[in-house]
Amino acid sequence: MMDSLYLAWRYLVYNKKKTFILVCCITIIAALPLALEVLLNESERQLALRAKSSPLLIGAKGSALDLVMNSLYFGDEVPETITMAATDQVMDTGLAAPIPLYVRFKSRGFPIVGTTLDYFDFRSLELAQGDMFTMLGQCIIGAEVARELALKPGDFVVSSPETLFDIAGVYPLKMKITGVLAPSHNADDLAVFADIQTAWVIQGLGHGHKDVTRTTDSSVILKKEESNVTANAKLMQYTEITKDNIDSFHLHGDAINFPLTAVLALPYDEKAGTILQGRYLEKEMPYQIVRPKEVIDTLMANIFKIRNVLDAVILFVGSATLLALVLVFSLSLRLREREIDVIFKLGCSRATIVKLLGAELFIIILISAGVCAGLLAFVHYYDQSLVRSLFI
Amino acid sequence: MRSNRSAPILLMFVILMFTLPLKVSAGEKLTIYTVNYPLTYFAERIGGDHVKVILPAPADVDPAFWEPDDDIVRQYQKADLIILNGAGYAKWTRKVSLPMLRMVDTSRAFKDDLVHIQTNVTHSHGPGGDHSHGGTAFTTWLDFSQATMQAEAIYRALVRKLPAQKQIFSENFEELRGDLQELDKQLAAIGERLARVPFFASHPIYQYLARRYNMNIKMMMWEPNEDPDDNEWQHLQEISQEHTARWMIWEGEPLSVSMEKLKNMGINSIVYAPCMNRPENGDFLSVMQANIQNLRKAYQ
Repeated sequence: MMDSLYLAWRYLVYNKKKTFILVCCITIIAALPLALEVLLNESERQLALRAKSSPLLIGAKGSALDLVMNSLYFGDEVPETITMAATDQVMDTGLAAPIPLYVRFKSRGFPIVGTTLDYFDFRSLELAQGDMFTMLGQCIIGAEVARELALKPGDFVVSSPETLFDIAGVYPLKMKITGVLAPSHNADDLAVFADIQTAWVIQGLGHGHKDVTRTTDSSVILKKEESNVTANAKLMQYTEITKDNIDSFHLHGDAINFPLTAVLALPYDEKAGTILQGRYLEKEMPYQIVRPKEVIDTLMANIFKIRNVLDAVILFVGSATLLALVLVFSLSLRLREREIDVIFKLGCSRATIVKLLGAELFIIILISAGVCAGLLAFVHYYDQSLVRSLFI
Repeated sequence: MRSNRSAPILLMFVILMFTLPLKVSAGEKLTIYTVNYPLTYFAERIGGDHVKVILPAPADVDPAFWEPDDDIVRQYQKADLIILNGAGYAKWTRKVSLPMLRMVDTSRAFKDDLVHIQTNVTHSHGPGGDHSHGGTAFTTWLDFSQATMQAEAIYRALVRKLPAQKQIFSENFEELRGDLQELDKQLAAIGERLARVPFFASHPIYQYLARRYNMNIKMMMWEPNEDPDDNEWQHLQEISQEHTARWMIWEGEPLSVSMEKLKNMGINSIVYAPCMNRPENGDFLSVMQANIQNLRKAYQ
């Protein structure tokens, strides 16, 4: 047996190009569906895990999928907004604890998640560096954000303007990073977290500026009355919240009317969750309530259908490739007819010749299997980041 | 022989296994941070041995206007419960990040009944002032019916956190409620006796006291440890033409020079301490009882 393997090995080494092509073809046929399976399983796991751990989500009526993708995975599609009153409404029911979310703005491509500190308790997120933000205008960042942008506590991020040509828009807000989260291997690694009020400041619903009742610069005053001072657009608004100017920051309007993209509702028990869902089924209710797990299960079912199609395509293509390989092999045998004849005349039995050819095939398959295993190990090792970058 | 030696050790181990969890749970204390002394007092009364209540504001500072540093804010963030007064008290809470689900707004139950104060300057782009009582009156506990509701909010929050101790919390709350209702009854009786007798108050913090107990109070912007300037004395003279009050209510012991000047105007001084911070002597209950005694002077 060893002799056959040795001869086969020497033959394959001598015909490097042919061996390489054969190995690549077999590796691709084997690795592609398996790698896809690994990635799809991982994406299903990630999506399902995050959805399962988020009991109920309340948002504006409309696409449940957009609501879930924006709130749980910080997707780009921003759903219609609701107001902070929705949080109070949940609190008043006594059935669930609400966590407001405002996921609309970005900073250097990463979503800014405006929320409360309860979010971090709920998601069991720990800090790897620095401290939690304490005042408005500060933020903490996910592990991947820190790694990709090479940021650490003490550095700054700036909110990106929503449109380039928004002349009357708000100034970007420069936020100090107070901490970096430990890796959690989900969407939280790729987000910038700030207080919900900071998100409102980014939107322009709150701002800071010099005290117009005391300013000596009359050019910023539009009208001054006994009981009211109106400033004009020249009044410069602060683009960073610091300890020196935070007292000047204020929200214009009642916070209860300020926007949110969703409210995460954490029912106190299963019964409370069911009752809460029932209350939002009424037609007059301006909001919808969804169970993220159900939305994601529906999405997974659709992806599963697509996966079946993909599997069928891969099977078809793979079969065609295998047939082509068989053709190549048989053509190769025909080309080696003289060589086989010489081996036969040297005294090798037919069985030995079959063993020799079989050994070649065996080695090719062995090498392909090794490369395939290596590729799969690589995919498996980086499956979480690959899924995040490719699918989610 | 070996089994005889190991039996007592085994027995001790078994006993520890059963008693240690009890000791751990008995020692479990909720850490509660508050923003003023009345709420601290209520939480201590209701929570008893099961709570550790902390008011980080220094004793010589008015907690309503105190601002904590980052380290103290972080302590608040780690607390099991953060008891807030609501009604705009402790404005610093609006500029920092605190866990919403662990915050208790004790005046939420009567938020529609809060007193809103008209300021001299409205806001289009900014009212101002180093120290302003504009917005909402925040000394909600001076109305003892409101104080009872605030205590109840604390009670409910404690029961949610430690449901196993509901019995104890309930007993403690009922006791506190009884004390507050007694104070309410006494002040109501005084309010009836005084029957809209005009008063001055040194500081605009008695809105709820005036409303609940039907007291006719005109409020100044004076400090007990400062002698008002000539303009303020002039202003008092002008108001007293129509508001013929014979008593000035101070939030703390005033300067003797201020008392003297008031006496020359025919106005006596009494102290009605709002007890925003921990008193040097006594507690919330004893301070309020002393306040009621002082108020009785107005008709004795």
